[in-house]
Amino acid sequence: MKTWQRSLVGVCAFLMVLGAAAYAQASGAPPVEFPYTGNRTAVWIVAQLHTLFGAFVLGAPIFVVVSEWLGYRKQDLRYDRLAKELTKVTVILFSMTALTGGLFIFVLLAAYPQFTTWFINQFYLVFTVIYPLLFISGSIVLYAYLYTWDVWKGEKKGRHIALGVLLNLICMTTMFVINGPTSFMNTPPKTEGLSPQDFLEAASLWDKIANVSWIPLSLHRIDGNLAFGGFVTGLIAAYMYMRAKSQEERSYYDWMGFVGNLIGVGAMLFQPFTGLLYAYQMCDYDFSFCPYMMADQLSMFFEMQGAMVGLMFLAGNYYVWLSLKRIEGVEKVRMTILAPIVMVAFPFAMMVVMNYYWIPDPMSLAFLLPLVLLPLLGRFIPFTVSARTVIKIGFLMVIIGDAIWLIPHGFAPTSAKMVAEVEMPEAWNFLSSMPAKLSAIFTLVFATVVNYALYNRAIKQGTIMWGEIDFASQFALISLAFTSIWMMGLMGAVRSLVRKYFHTYSVIPDFSAESFTPTLSYSAWWITGISVVFFTVVSFAVFVALRSSDSKRQVPEGSPVPARAK
Amino acid sequence: MGNVIKKLSIGLVVGGALFGIAKWQEFPFVFQMVFFAQAMLGAAVFMLLDAPAVKTMSGGKSAIAIVMFYIVLCTVFVAGASMWPQFDPEEEKGKIVKILERERKASEQGKAEELIARAKALDEQVKALEVRLRELGAGHVVTKEPVTDAPPPVTSKGAGDFMKAGEEQWQLHECFNCHKLKGEGGKKRGPELDNIGSYLTVDEIKQKILDPKSFMAEGFEKEWEKGRMPDKFREVMDDNEVTALASWLNSFKNTSVNTPKPIKKK
Repeated sequence: MKTWQRSLVGVCAFLMVLGAAAYAQASGAPPVEFPYTGNRTAVWIVAQLHTLFGAFVLGAPIFVVVSEWLGYRKQDLRYDRLAKELTKVTVILFSMTALTGGLFIFVLLAAYPQFTTWFINQFYLVFTVIYPLLFISGSIVLYAYLYTWDVWKGEKKGRHIALGVLLNLICMTTMFVINGPTSFMNTPPKTEGLSPQDFLEAASLWDKIANVSWIPLSLHRIDGNLAFGGFVTGLIAAYMYMRAKSQEERSYYDWMGFVGNLIGVGAMLFQPFTGLLYAYQMCDYDFSFCPYMMADQLSMFFEMQGAMVGLMFLAGNYYVWLSLKRIEGVEKVRMTILAPIVMVAFPFAMMVVMNYYWIPDPMSLAFLLPLVLLPLLGRFIPFTVSARTVIKIGFLMVIIGDAIWLIPHGFAPTSAKMVAEVEMPEAWNFLSSMPAKLSAIFTLVFATVVNYALYNRAIKQGTIMWGEIDFASQFALISLAFTSIWMMGLMGAVRSLVRKYFHTYSVIPDFSAESFTPTLSYSAWWITGISVVFFTVVSFAVFVALRSSDSKRQVPEGSPVPARAK
Repeated sequence: MGNVIKKLSIGLVVGGALFGIAKWQEFPFVFQMVFFAQAMLGAAVFMLLDAPAVKTMSGGKSAIAIVMFYIVLCTVFVAGASMWPQFDPEEEKGKIVKILERERKASEQGKAEELIARAKALDEQVKALEVRLRELGAGHVVTKEPVTDAPPPVTSKGAGDFMKAGEEQWQLHECFNCHKLKGEGGKKRGPELDNIGSYLTVDEIKQKILDPKSFMAEGFEKEWEKGRMPDKFREVMDDNEVTALASWLNSFKNTSVNTPKPIKKK
């Protein structure tokens, strides 16, 4: 796709948004009935696709510019190449974000004209001025960033990096701005003694944007977008590794997968915590959200989430395991015995401590912090274990941690009045409590941190044979990307469904026949379908963007094979 | 092959032990199966860890491998999600219609729908009249009841109906998610209400529903301070519905249940 074609797509999308805003002024149109999918699912499909493309184009520039800076700082051309290749893919997906965004507004307007009209009018300035301006400036800076890559190099590289930082600022602002209306639908501002409708009549635009879940949602999304960008980079690397014809290319894409995975897993470690913060804020706003999510209609969605989180942590650690195998000298790498001991003791100790001293009681930290830091005393203890043993114990604890995460109070998602046939025995109820869930999250994170620390030590002590990684690792990278996208779809559905039978919670009811909670199975079919469409487009974008760079490449870049990582 | 058999055996032994312990501890069958499945997942992971390296593929082979891998992932995710117990939307649909009935009628859409419904009813009446006229014209004996515009007789709700309406509100708004009553629901999020009628009058219960900060249950200070009880009911319930719910709750005067004492705050 040429630049003018991509620009045309962007302009069309922009006009669609403006057209929708203008159309919103003329209310009274009857809703369109979407065949086969129904109106809600039609909106779901385009909204989800838009969010996925948006997540990538907002997340990728963060580490594109960091990668470019690292390349400049270390004088390592691989970082620069990674950053440039990702920017090429980002440019194509930026057009897709714009296109699906315009389509999203139109489908929303067609399916729910009355609500959309009201909604656009609530955020008129955002939809007609701020968002389009940010979108246009983002497009201009993105294109400028790509096309000045080879012009601003050498002494001018700093200027180019500054342009990348500007791009990130615009992307970040765009995300914060659009998260305002998104979070508003779940938690419209309210105050004691006034109905939400009455409060909204007097509320300013800022009041509506700065609702209680705005910042938690934005934090969760920044982190999620970064993780997502990392995993999609891993995916691109896996594709390119698989089609690489020379050992040099394989070395480079092996390294790219390593970097993508590192960023993805690094950001993923914070996801459960920002997610918890977001959920806490939602429950604080209206406590009925909590049982609806965790104990009633959506409870099995969270069971599925637990399974997916477990899969992602397993895949991330499996990649480390396979990576270690191609490090020469890894057999000499050892770690203090305290690390696996703490890893095993941690979930149980945390469960006990948290049952006595629940957050924010500082006593919980007084017990748990020394336990977490205990492995640091390892240098004074002569007992060590091999890297392989530590990682295997880590895997065991990931499985146990995930099992704890997966244990619900009961298995009946319909109505919280559970019957004994599906309910856990009273004596074991602590396994479904919040302290247990928190200990499960910490176990997954702790085991992964130990594994990556070990990986880092192996890299420093041994020699990485780039391009020699077990081919199965590429499937680990692909599954990480696919699972992370699937889970984004799942949790996005939860975020939307938590509004129950309201378009905007407790303000605008959804009178349509589709305002009920769909089943997990039905949701899974659509989430899978949307993920497949997204993957197809991304695969195509990678093919188009990177094939042309292959053919134009004359001067070989990247490090020779094998490369020492030190 | 030795690796597979060894790990599979360990998985089966651990899974069997977990299954046995869960059965002994009287966990429901679904939990026993989940524990067994988790042990088998562990066995599969350890098999994978010690599996021989996969040879590098390229070109068409790798493309086919990717497509096959996606098919496996999609199948696992859809099948996995379908294996969990599914929420039955039918249970919710009727509730939503009832909860939103009042707002639907007040909305523009509701008014339009009502007009359409009236037009349809009139159309039906006209058709019925046409049939009758045709029958009269043909000299047939009229056997049907004459169509009248008179509304159906309105019967006043008895006390039983009123209490039933109160219970229906309890179910519709899923109060059982937080409050235990008649031994059902609860999970200690809110006070158990079997003896609430001994402490609060109908009007006071109404006040608590419409303004959750007006009373605080003893021992629920944290929940009261955090505003755990939603304050949306004045938006989604009309006065009759709140009165019915309050009257029904007021009928619970079971002194054997330790309902915490409500403290007036407003």
